[in-house]
Amino acid sequence: MSRNLRLENLTKRYGTLTAVDRVNLEIEEGEFICFLGPSGCGKTTVLRMITGFETVTEGKVLFNGKVINHLIPQKREFGIVFQSYALFPNMTVEENIAFGLRMRKMNTQAIAKRVDQMLDLVGLRDWRKLFPAQLSGGQQQRVALVRALAPDPQVLLLDEPLSALDAKIRVRLRAEVKRLQQELKKTMIYVTHDQEEALSIADRVVVMEKGQFRQVGKPIDIYKCPSSDFVADFVGTSNFFKGLRTDDRVKTEQWEFTVAQAGSSYREKVVLAIRPEKIEVFRPGEPTPHLVLSNLIPGRIDVVTFLGAAVRLVVNMDGEEVISDVIEKVFEQRGFKQGDDILLYFPPESFLVYPEGEGMA
Amino acid sequence: MNRPEIDRFSTVSSSFLSRAITPDRLITGVAFAFFLAILVFFLLYPVVDICRLSFLKEGKLTFENYVAYFSSPRIFRSFTNSIYVSIVTMIITTVTAFFFAYGLTRTTIPGKGIFYTISTLPLIAPTIIQALALILLFGRNGLITRYLLGTDWNIYGATGIIIGECLYCFPNALFILYTTLSAVDTRMDEAAQSLGASALKTFYKVTLPSAKYGIASAAALTFNLTITDFGIPVVIGGNYSVLATEIVSQVFGLQRFDLGATISVILLVPSIGAFAINYYLTRKSYALISGQARPFLQPSRPLKKWGFTLYCGLICLSILIVFATVFLGSFVKTWPYDFSLTLKHFDFPSLGAHAPLWTNFWTSVLPESTFRTMISYKYAPIWTSLLVSIVVAIAGASLTLLAGYIIEKKKPKGEQVLYTLSVLPAAIPGVVMGLGYVLAFNKPYFFIYGTIWIIIINIVICNFTLGVLTSIANLKQIDKSVEEAAVSLGAGPISTFTRVVFPLSRVAFFSTATFFFMRAMTTISAVIFLISATIKLAAIEIIFLDVDGRTASANAMCTVVVAIVIGALLVMRLVTGRSALGGMVSSR
Repeated sequence: MSRNLRLENLTKRYGTLTAVDRVNLEIEEGEFICFLGPSGCGKTTVLRMITGFETVTEGKVLFNGKVINHLIPQKREFGIVFQSYALFPNMTVEENIAFGLRMRKMNTQAIAKRVDQMLDLVGLRDWRKLFPAQLSGGQQQRVALVRALAPDPQVLLLDEPLSALDAKIRVRLRAEVKRLQQELKKTMIYVTHDQEEALSIADRVVVMEKGQFRQVGKPIDIYKCPSSDFVADFVGTSNFFKGLRTDDRVKTEQWEFTVAQAGSSYREKVVLAIRPEKIEVFRPGEPTPHLVLSNLIPGRIDVVTFLGAAVRLVVNMDGEEVISDVIEKVFEQRGFKQGDDILLYFPPESFLVYPEGEGMA
Repeated sequence: MNRPEIDRFSTVSSSFLSRAITPDRLITGVAFAFFLAILVFFLLYPVVDICRLSFLKEGKLTFENYVAYFSSPRIFRSFTNSIYVSIVTMIITTVTAFFFAYGLTRTTIPGKGIFYTISTLPLIAPTIIQALALILLFGRNGLITRYLLGTDWNIYGATGIIIGECLYCFPNALFILYTTLSAVDTRMDEAAQSLGASALKTFYKVTLPSAKYGIASAAALTFNLTITDFGIPVVIGGNYSVLATEIVSQVFGLQRFDLGATISVILLVPSIGAFAINYYLTRKSYALISGQARPFLQPSRPLKKWGFTLYCGLICLSILIVFATVFLGSFVKTWPYDFSLTLKHFDFPSLGAHAPLWTNFWTSVLPESTFRTMISYKYAPIWTSLLVSIVVAIAGASLTLLAGYIIEKKKPKGEQVLYTLSVLPAAIPGVVMGLGYVLAFNKPYFFIYGTIWIIIINIVICNFTLGVLTSIANLKQIDKSVEEAAVSLGAGPISTFTRVVFPLSRVAFFSTATFFFMRAMTTISAVIFLISATIKLAAIEIIFLDVDGRTASANAMCTVVVAIVIGALLVMRLVTGRSALGGMVSSR
């Protein structure tokens, strides 16, 4: 039987406040799971209940099919990497890495061998005699990573491990974590509020909001088919329109869009979401063959931002701001600039339609 | 990758420890109960006993004692005297310390480090040192009054007490004001001046208001220290009685324990009040401290710079004169008439005290001589003080570190109660604690009464507050996740403490130990009730020698005490590589 981790109706309440609300999840051995959500959504609380540092109000944490709710943290054999690194400042790099091995009463030779192995894993052999304060943030977090891995934990839990680092190092270390995970085939649970980080690193992403799991799935599915307007907004960027849907027509305050996801003839309140890169941009008068004319709307470019490979246009559409991303090459060819009048085209099949909820931004 | 041989706990098949008895909770619970028990028994119980005695007569509730106190003008005078002396001291000390702190933090005067160090000196000596020095200079046979001016005026009474208390309270008030002033952002001053405010206006409208909590808290602390002090008024007060000396004279002189208890309760009211104000305002003032980097101080104008240098210099000079006078007084033949040097005052009169342990030790090491008699018998109080101080330093620092750890990191249910009890000792005057111990523990079945252990316990409890506060301040700086990291790597509660928490608390531990050592060497007020015919302490001998008219020997004893404290400070500095006094001050 594989060493899987299961959460069953896991709940945490602080008085009347429910931080985590009956969440369920099955994590397979060797899987890389990311908990993604805005701050205060309960993702760290879930992690801390798995580690045992937080008590469980209701529900169960199961490991290998056995409930471990009341098992004390040091008996769970889960490695933890903290946002603040949490290295022992009074110990050198190698003493830090050896700490968990010493606690398990391994013999000195085995410890030395394992420490070498760990140092090589992150290329810090030359730094072994230094103290944490003498290392850069990125190096400290690498030490923290292998310190947690050294005792060969069953599961590695990472609580926003990269948020304290600057952007460049964050991206590099992210790749390193991914490489280690693939190399060691270790079950990892990673908490972050950075959607880009979550999408780029995880096998499966769990999007959390208000203590609940909103969507669980592969990064590509979460991006392409967000299950709610909250997910569409939180993961990536989306434009939103509120309106009433009748069949395949959605009437907003100013426009009437045609959508591919048709509803009933009954008028229902919906939210339309569309990704910036799905919106096409034309110059007025340009031939626009095969387009659904109701979805072609005039606007003016207010702001132009270079993102690198793409260019982001903020377009004023009759007072409504719409974001559209254009590939840099296309942008060059068309010669768009701030103040230009343009036509925006919203392909019907690119609209995601959600029943109107409370969570919309 | 090669999986190393790791001795695995079988995670899941191992027992499901129930919520109630994880080792961590068990240890926390036991330690919590232990501290609660000690503080209730050695802190609350004696104080309650005092209240009981003051309100009860033959088992009945009565206010007779209070009526007796307030209707006897001679005794009641001690109350008004205490209030008068404390208020005057409070005003003088707060104002002088404020400008001293201002000079150190807001001007570019030279020698700030030296000024600061000198200003902390009064902490390393028994409070009596101020009184001894003042008597040598301005007493009946004072160097200045008798010898230089030939006047009959002398300093005994309120004037002497106030000047002595000002010198003693100065560093205590200075710490608070220094912290406050160095924490307030000087850019506010610059902003005010850039908006056209004059320097004086800036001072009144910006600097002073921003330090108001610090000023009030320093004033309250000074009031509390003065009204509870016993050493200075007993030596220099003459006939001018204050509450603390009145308690002692009622008990020792007249055997009126009930009146002593009554005066104790009366003394408790202003001292707890002042302490509570100080405590509340200190929190409030520290909450205003911003962690922002402070910009470079503009060079002060020459007049301001030299004015403040002169001011700080004069204050430091007077502190140095106190120490120099007492040192000198212990080495000269007959102050102030014969200034030829001698060591004879260090051959203390034999006061009947002996500590068998020391006596046996020195007798076995030294050859038979008068020197041996001196060291093994006459120096017994000093050896006892040293032993008590070492034990107090180790026990006090360990206990307060552990108590702080329980309060700050473990937060068990009822943690607030433990915190309140831990902070309380600083509010209770030493004299009251001493009398409380006599009332509560002078019973045949209480076997440690009359031994050095009751003295050790008393000193540890009386100084518990600062130790615990230092420990908490230090532990706050240790990130919670560092401990969690240790636990997640398999460390139990004890290894986590010994391998991670303690090493990170080392500096705080040593500075707390130094503080306890200093207090044990110099404290008078509580332990004066607890010494016995055979167990004497050096700091208390100073008073007895002085009362006996052996002023020079009192000076010599004081010099020995100061020398031991300085020695301990130097040792601590070598051990930790930094000034222990500095560490204590910064965490205050």
